[in-house]
Amino acid sequence: MKTLFKKRLGAHLTELTKYLRLVFNDYFVLALVFMIGGLGYYYSNALKQLTTGLWWAPLLIIIVLLISVQTGRMATLIEDPDYVFLLPQEAELIGYLKRAFWYSTILAALMQLLFWIVLMPFIQVTVSASAPQLFSLLGTIIFLKVAWMNADFARKYHLQHKWMGNRWLFRLIIPVVVLAISIYVNYFIGVVLAAIVMIGGLFTQNAWKKRSVDWQTLIADENSRMHSIYQFFNLFTDVPSLKGSVKRRRYLDWLLHKIKLLPDNTYLYLYAHGIIRDNEMSGLYVRLTVIGTLLLVFIKGEVLPIVLCLLFLYLIGFQMIPFYFHFDDNAFVHIYPVTTEFQLKNFQRVLLMMMGTVAVIFAITVIAVNLTAPVTVIGVLIGEAIEVGLFIFMYVPRRIKKSEFSR
Amino acid sequence: MTLQVSNLVGGYSQVPVLKDVTFDVKDGELVGLIGLNGAGKSTTINHIIGLLTPFKGSVKINGVAINDDVKKYKQQIAYIPEQPIVYKELTLKEHLEMTMLAYNLDQNEAWKRADKLLKTFRLENKLNWFPDNFSKGMRQKVMIVCAFLTNAKLFIIDEPFLGLDPLAVNDLLNLISERKKQGASILMSTHVLDTAQRYCDRFVLLHDGKVRTEGTLAQLQALFPEAGNSLNDIYLTLAREGEAS
Repeated sequence: MKTLFKKRLGAHLTELTKYLRLVFNDYFVLALVFMIGGLGYYYSNALKQLTTGLWWAPLLIIIVLLISVQTGRMATLIEDPDYVFLLPQEAELIGYLKRAFWYSTILAALMQLLFWIVLMPFIQVTVSASAPQLFSLLGTIIFLKVAWMNADFARKYHLQHKWMGNRWLFRLIIPVVVLAISIYVNYFIGVVLAAIVMIGGLFTQNAWKKRSVDWQTLIADENSRMHSIYQFFNLFTDVPSLKGSVKRRRYLDWLLHKIKLLPDNTYLYLYAHGIIRDNEMSGLYVRLTVIGTLLLVFIKGEVLPIVLCLLFLYLIGFQMIPFYFHFDDNAFVHIYPVTTEFQLKNFQRVLLMMMGTVAVIFAITVIAVNLTAPVTVIGVLIGEAIEVGLFIFMYVPRRIKKSEFSR
Repeated sequence: MTLQVSNLVGGYSQVPVLKDVTFDVKDGELVGLIGLNGAGKSTTINHIIGLLTPFKGSVKINGVAINDDVKKYKQQIAYIPEQPIVYKELTLKEHLEMTMLAYNLDQNEAWKRADKLLKTFRLENKLNWFPDNFSKGMRQKVMIVCAFLTNAKLFIIDEPFLGLDPLAVNDLLNLISERKKQGASILMSTHVLDTAQRYCDRFVLLHDGKVRTEGTLAQLQALFPEAGNSLNDIYLTLAREGEAS
């Protein structure tokens, strides 16, 4: 059982590395460097304007730390067939799961450390915390995370006392209370409370570790965890194990009815239906568009809106590229008597529609928000037009040729 | 007495699918679990293999309930699911090794048995293939080979006949009777009634989450004399009656 986890972890890490290589391609790294640099600059500037005693600062700290505590789930690396093949080993599964638990906990603790480091200057400035206080805050979030993870572990068993795996209790209620005590009352009481919660939580293991495993929760939890990881990777590349769900979306039929039923439009028909009804695709598209628009509403500046527009337009276009191959696994498209020369043209038309819509939405937002800054408005309009053109007619054909080659 | 299901009330959420189900499977007995789609066959099986916890009542294997001793309970079971489910990154050979590890089987002895089983199901030249790419019937054979590799006392087989070729069905039935002779118990759910009629020792007819009736074919014939002679006729009559009421 111990070796099984090691083996699974090895395979899992190999898979992650494979995808991470694709995620951190040159363009993305460049975009990321700019983004982190920009945010860092923005953050350090903002810090200079802050003083001690702002009423909203403690609240913001609690919210950010609460988000921090939510990051990182228990990675069990359990697979669907396990409930059949590992059925007789169920009593030994605890050894396997314990390894998984500690592995996930250590990763999650590192995440807490990261959040803490980023937030540290803000805490120092706004509530003027001392070093011992800061360190006890770090201890608090790590202990809370261990208790969180322990509850996530507990719910994978058929519990006699359901509260031991209660998500509301260990994910929200206890962290909110303990963090509020830390920030508003005393950091040291907070860390002691968090430690008590953690130790008590770990003690509950004795109550359930000999009980039967709730395979359905175990498998469903792991699948949902992997699904979110794959969803992230799917932003950058085509993930074969990601099976998207499909929605009818009757209210968009008027768009689809516009397609003329000619042989040349075969792929247009497929791509349009696919993108509209496939939840992964349309979900990503809508999410990124909404986030981009919201950012444009709130962010001011002469150049920043232009950069944001172009960045989001690029991200949206980029994550649609793998969809070009979406129907390649389907035998029908290879049987149809249509030439593939129209595939790229059809795909470009769909892309033009999608990116054009986003460009118009962004442009309207920018114009509405920055009426007084004509330079920004003109910059956005011209920048978007150039980007869409270059992206669809220069970049996409090359990129697809490259991917086709490596497939 | 190998498997004893008593007054079982259970299901997936708060709404019970099974309402007071009681039946047993004795040593060396093949019991057919029969019912319409949605009658509760798979739910019953999920309770026996421990995927679900009973709301009320109990499931015991040789007197052990799952929360008495998980290890003792689980090690007695081998399970063949209705939908074959395999690891996509393991070869056939590795699936067999996995089973040997999980059931803690002696490697030499297990491989001897495995070779025989593989030959029976014509899989012996596919040891290094990935079962994930097999057809449904072939994947089902993989599940059968893995299950019969073990020394389980109780075999739970969920609808084994759909998708298997006639030769494989016959081989599976031979395997079952061989294990029966060695004293193992088998619970099998199925819709293929004429096969069930020929091979099962007893039948449990589920309808709407309850045991409608149970017994040997002769007992069922005696209970419902006007329904006809074959299991099929009896079952159809009962099912229509159930629909009407």
